[in-house]
Amino acid sequence: MSEFKSGFFVGGDSCNGRVLVVDDEPDIRKVVRMTLQKAGYDVLEAENGAKAIETINSGENRLLLDVIICDIRMPKVNGIEAITYFRENYPRVPLIVLTGFPDTDMATSLLRQGVVDYLVKPVEGEKLKASVARAMEQRELAHL
Amino acid sequence: MMDWPAAQRTGAAATSAPADPGIGRGRTEPVPVPLPMRVAIIGAGRGGMALLEVLHQIGTVEIVGIADRDPSAPGLTRAHEINVPVYDLAADLIQQQGLNLVMDVTGDPAVERMLHEQLPAGADLLSGQAVRLLWTLVQHESLLQAELLHAEKLAGIGSFAAGIAHDMNNPLQLILGLAENLADETDLEAIHTQARDIIEAVKRTSAICRDLTSYSRRASLRQDCLISINGKLDEALKIARYAVALQDIEIRKLYQPDVVVKGNPDELLHVFVNLITNAVQAMADQGTLTLETAVTAGTTQVRVSDTGSGIPPELLDRIFEPFFTTKPPGKGTGLGLYNIKSVIHHMNGTIAVESQVGRGSTFTLTFPHDSTVGERSAQP
Repeated sequence: MSEFKSGFFVGGDSCNGRVLVVDDEPDIRKVVRMTLQKAGYDVLEAENGAKAIETINSGENRLLLDVIICDIRMPKVNGIEAITYFRENYPRVPLIVLTGFPDTDMATSLLRQGVVDYLVKPVEGEKLKASVARAMEQRELAHL
Repeated sequence: MMDWPAAQRTGAAATSAPADPGIGRGRTEPVPVPLPMRVAIIGAGRGGMALLEVLHQIGTVEIVGIADRDPSAPGLTRAHEINVPVYDLAADLIQQQGLNLVMDVTGDPAVERMLHEQLPAGADLLSGQAVRLLWTLVQHESLLQAELLHAEKLAGIGSFAAGIAHDMNNPLQLILGLAENLADETDLEAIHTQARDIIEAVKRTSAICRDLTSYSRRASLRQDCLISINGKLDEALKIARYAVALQDIEIRKLYQPDVVVKGNPDELLHVFVNLITNAVQAMADQGTLTLETAVTAGTTQVRVSDTGSGIPPELLDRIFEPFFTTKPPGKGTGLGLYNIKSVIHHMNGTIAVESQVGRGSTFTLTFPHDSTVGERSAQP
């Protein structure tokens, strides 16, 4: 494991990284949190794009947020708007889209914008963890 | 937007609202020309009722009355509902002044003979094979109208895909995640909680299927019944959220309690889904949607208002025309408002629209009171 993992920065015991889950459904946030916490990730939650932007701009998250998992269809600031903001302001933080609606055009467009993965719900825990692990690798490469 | 009286604008349950201030100034579908053809219908069975339904919707025809010896004939019941005079004797009906046409759908040679003998001067008689052919054509048109309504509804359901996927896949994600977790969960209390969460998620998913299969079915042919307008508007909101994103729409419900109208509940649900969907699309998924019901002097009204882009004045007179649409190709059938108008007319109601470009639109449905309004046996 690389010393650049956020576990190093936050001094966490077994923290493999800090992940922000952005979804308007509390159930989705709960179950993603459950899966990722078991895999040793520190999980933050935001219920929409506006809250996600607020979260990433607050305190140590500016530096220590490793991966963002973002839904598309959300109130206030939707996923597309939030992703555009993240790409512009935090280009080194990898993004994973986790959406309920498979849309090939949107997936292509988002992947072109640099989104690491486009996952369609329901996604198995192993697949989600593998996707987050890939995103973490990108995050580490960005630090090199 | 319509200029509402303050009491209605702010009150969640307006009680004795005055007659709608906007109706007179609003645009309605084309006004019928004067000097209608005066028609009498003899026979109120299936044939007479079919003729009554069709002729009632034609502005240039005035139905002077309908006659049948059988007081339980369905056409007589319908005639009462739409305020067409009812006679038990054909001979009495044809004595009415200024008749242009008598249509005999009884198929009874004795009635036909009597009509030939007593037909007033200036009136034509349509009977025998001629009226049978006309009845066939009317039934055909009625069938086409029903098919058109259903086809337009099914076309609209195509746009539900994103909403359905969202609402189905979210609970499925929860179910999958919890099931995976349960595989190695040892805490008994957590197992129980998560099992209950799975059961609830399955119920939510099956409710979506139930709502949609119910909505997509062909409108039932059952007799009209009393419908709770407020309940039907809420039901329409549940369906419309599959077609349009409601999460950034402020929804204001200004419902007067216990508002009911008589009609086909499936068709009225389709009308409300269409109006709500149009309103949200006009707001580009952001703005205020106001649903209002009110009983005013002699009428029951439903208003669907948005704060969207509005309709240009030059298009207002065309929006109820069949196949007229401002949506891009493939995005709309152009039959939505046309079908809405047909359903509302069938319910003996009217639809009016008032709109300002850049400020929004208000669609007002107005139904006359009938003797049944006020009963509490309305369907949800």
